Amino acid sequence: MDGQALRPTASWENGTLAPVDRLRAERADSPTPGLVEGTEPGAGQKSAMFVHAQSFEDLTAEAEEEARRDDELDKSGECAEELKVLVGEKTIEEQRNNSISSESRSKEEDVSSEAWRSHRKHVFVLSEAGKPIYTRYGTEEALSSTMGVMMALVSFVEAEKNIIRSIHADGCKVVFLTKSPLVLVGVSRTCQSDKELLRELQYIYYQIVSLLTLTQLNHIFQHKQNYDLRRLLAGSEYLTDNLLHRLDRDPGLLLSAVTCLPLASSARDVVSSSLQAAKAKNLVFSILLAGDRLVTLVRKKDQFLHHIDLHLVFNLVGSSSSFREGEGWTPICLPKFNTAGFFHAHISYLEPASELCLILVSTDREDFFNMSDCKQRFLERLSKRSAYQALKEALKCPTYSVAQVGIPELRHFLYKSKSSGLYTSPEFPEVYHSDEEQERLMGLYQDLHSCLHHPTRPLRSFYRCSETENLLAWVTSGFELYLCFSPLGTKALAVSAVNKLLKWIRKEEDRLFILSPLTY
Amino acid sequence: MSAMRVDAKVVMLGKESVGKTSLVERYVHHRFLVGPYQNTIGAAFVAKPIQVGEKVITLGIWDTAGSERYEAMSRIYYRGARAAIVCYDLTDSSSFQRARFWVKELQNCEEHCKIYLCGTKNDLIEGDRSLRQIDYHDAQDFAEEIGAQHFETSSKTGNNVDELFQKVAEDYNNTAFQYMTAEETGIDLGQKKDSYFYSCCHNN
Repeated sequence: MDGQALRPTASWENGTLAPVDRLRAERADSPTPGLVEGTEPGAGQKSAMFVHAQSFEDLTAEAEEEARRDDELDKSGECAEELKVLVGEKTIEEQRNNSISSESRSKEEDVSSEAWRSHRKHVFVLSEAGKPIYTRYGTEEALSSTMGVMMALVSFVEAEKNIIRSIHADGCKVVFLTKSPLVLVGVSRTCQSDKELLRELQYIYYQIVSLLTLTQLNHIFQHKQNYDLRRLLAGSEYLTDNLLHRLDRDPGLLLSAVTCLPLASSARDVVSSSLQAAKAKNLVFSILLAGDRLVTLVRKKDQFLHHIDLHLVFNLVGSSSSFREGEGWTPICLPKFNTAGFFHAHISYLEPASELCLILVSTDREDFFNMSDCKQRFLERLSKRSAYQALKEALKCPTYSVAQVGIPELRHFLYKSKSSGLYTSPEFPEVYHSDEEQERLMGLYQDLHSCLHHPTRPLRSFYRCSETENLLAWVTSGFELYLCFSPLGTKALAVSAVNKLLKWIRKEEDRLFILSPLTY
Repeated sequence: MSAMRVDAKVVMLGKESVGKTSLVERYVHHRFLVGPYQNTIGAAFVAKPIQVGEKVITLGIWDTAGSERYEAMSRIYYRGARAAIVCYDLTDSSSFQRARFWVKELQNCEEHCKIYLCGTKNDLIEGDRSLRQIDYHDAQDFAEEIGAQHFETSSKTGNNVDELFQKVAEDYNNTAFQYMTAEETGIDLGQKKDSYFYSCCHNN
C-alpha cells in the first residue's frame, strides 16, 4: 500500500473514516501553538489583500450545493453507452503510455485520431444551443456533433428536473458544469476528483466572462440563441489554452493563492508606498508583477481583489506579448468582483526588456492618460528613492533553493498562509527538472489537495510513501503545507521537518511575503 | 520628467490579423517579429517623434485590436484622431470589406480625421503575384473617392512604411493651422479630461 494516513483513524481509503466532527475535535489542538489563522508565518499585519478566508470552498461552494441537492443522481450506468462516443473505447493498459502525449497543442489535430482521444484532459465549452465555443484540442467545427451529444446529455437529465454532474466510466471522468448560457465539459483521465475538475472548469468559465462580462454574454444569447460565440472570442483561444496549461503547472491556481517575488521588506515597502502615492480618482488596484510573481499590490480602501481575478490578470499578461509593444489599454471584467461590467486596465512593462509589469486598474474608460501619468509618477518616485536598483537586483534571483531551509531529505514544498492568500515555494530541485517530472509532482500535490479538501471527508494531514518520493500534507486553520521528501526519508523525519520549516519560513517571512499591504 | 506631449493622434484600424501591430512595430522599433500570430488586447499606445522639415512632431499612435470583441470600445480610440490608418491585407478580400466599414464609420463620426488606406503584406505579393486579392487600381479608386491617401506596405521588408508615417506627419503639419488656430495645439498627456462616457463599473 502506498498511501498511509498520518493519524491511525484517518485511513480514508478503507472508508472507515470516523465522523468529521469527532475528528475535528480530536485534532483541534495544533502541535505548534499559536499557529491559528492570522498568526501563521506569512500572515499580513493589517487586513489581508484578497478575499480569502475560505477561498477554495468559496470557489466550489455553489457547485457543492448543487451536488448535495442531487446527491442521489448517478447516471453512470445509463450514460456509459453515449460516453463511448465522447471518449472512445480505451482499455486501461493503453492509458499508461499517454501521459506525455499532451504536448502537441496543434489545433489542426484530427479529432477521430487515437492521439486526440488519448489526451489526458479535454475541455469543451458550448452554448446551451449545443454550439461549440471552445475545445482544447482539435477544431470546434470538427466537434459539433460530439458537442451536440454533450448538450443532449445535459438536456436529457434536465428534463427529469435533475442536473448531470459527472460520468465515471472506462477510466475516464466526464464532468459537467452548467453556467447558463454556457455549458462546460471536462473529460479527464487523471486521478483528480470531480471537485478539482469542476474548479478548473470554473476557471475557464471566468476566463470567458472576463473577456465579455456576464451581462453581455446573457444579452447575446437572449437575442440569438444559436449565436456563434467564437466570433466574439476570436483571438482569445490562446488565453484559455494557457490557463489550462497553468492549471496543470501552477501551484497558485491549486492553492487559491499567489506567490511573491522574494524582496527585502524595506525595498518592498518603498515600492508599495511609491505605488500608493501615484493614485488617481478612479484607480482601484495597482499591481506590480515580476513574471508570475507579485511584487506588490495596492488597492482602494474597502476594495478587495479576489485571487481568481488576480490569476486571470496574471494569465492575460503572461500569455501575451501585446503589452510589450507600448502602453496597453484594455477593458477587463474581474468576474469575482463584478460580472456585470468592465474595468479598464493600463498594462505596461517598466522597461522594454524588463520582467516588471505594472497594471493599473481604473473604473473609467477615458482614463488612459491619467493612468499613464500615474505610471510616470510611480517611476519618478521609485528612482528618486533608489528602490528601483534593489528591485532589479531581486529580479536576478526570483526564487530560492530548498537547501536554504537546511532539511537534508526535503526536496520541495508548498506553503500557503491562509490569512494573506499568499504562498511560497522553492525552485524545483534537480530530480524534478524535466517538464514531465514537474507535472507529475504537481499531480501528486493535486492529489493531496483533493484529500485535504474532500467535500465530505476532509483530512487534516496525510502522509504517503512511494518509490519515488514521500509526501506529507498538513492543513491547519492558519496554513496549508505540502512537503516532498526523498523516498529514503522516514515519517518521523517528515513530521519533525514541519516545525523546522515553519521556523525557517517565520524567519524569512518578511522577504517571502507581503506583510504590510497598502491601500490608497 | 514632465508628461509627454503628443501633437497628433493617429489611430490604426482594420480587420484582425491584417498587420496593424506589425506596421507599428516596424515603424517605431524598426523590427519585424516572426512567430505565431498574437492578437492585440484592447489597444496599445506609443508616442513617436518625427522630423518634419524644421519641426519635430510627436505622433501618438493608437494600435487597436481588430477583434470584434473590442468594437464597442473603438470609438474612444478614434475620437479626436487627426489621422486614421485603415489597414487591409492585400491577400484577403474580406479585410477590404472591413476597411470600407471603418472608412464609413470615420466619415460619419470624425470628419476632421484624414484617412490613409494601407494595403499590408506586400512582400507576399512580391513572392507570388497570384496571392493578390485586392487590385491596386480598385483600392486606388476607392481611396480617391473618399479623399484618402493610398499606400501598399510591407512590414517585413519595411517597404513604404516610413513613407506612410512621414506623409501622415507632413499632412498634419500642413493642416495643423487650418483647424487648430483657435484651440491650443497638441494634447497634454497629463491633463485631466472630463469623461463624457459613463463607466460601466462603479465601485461603490
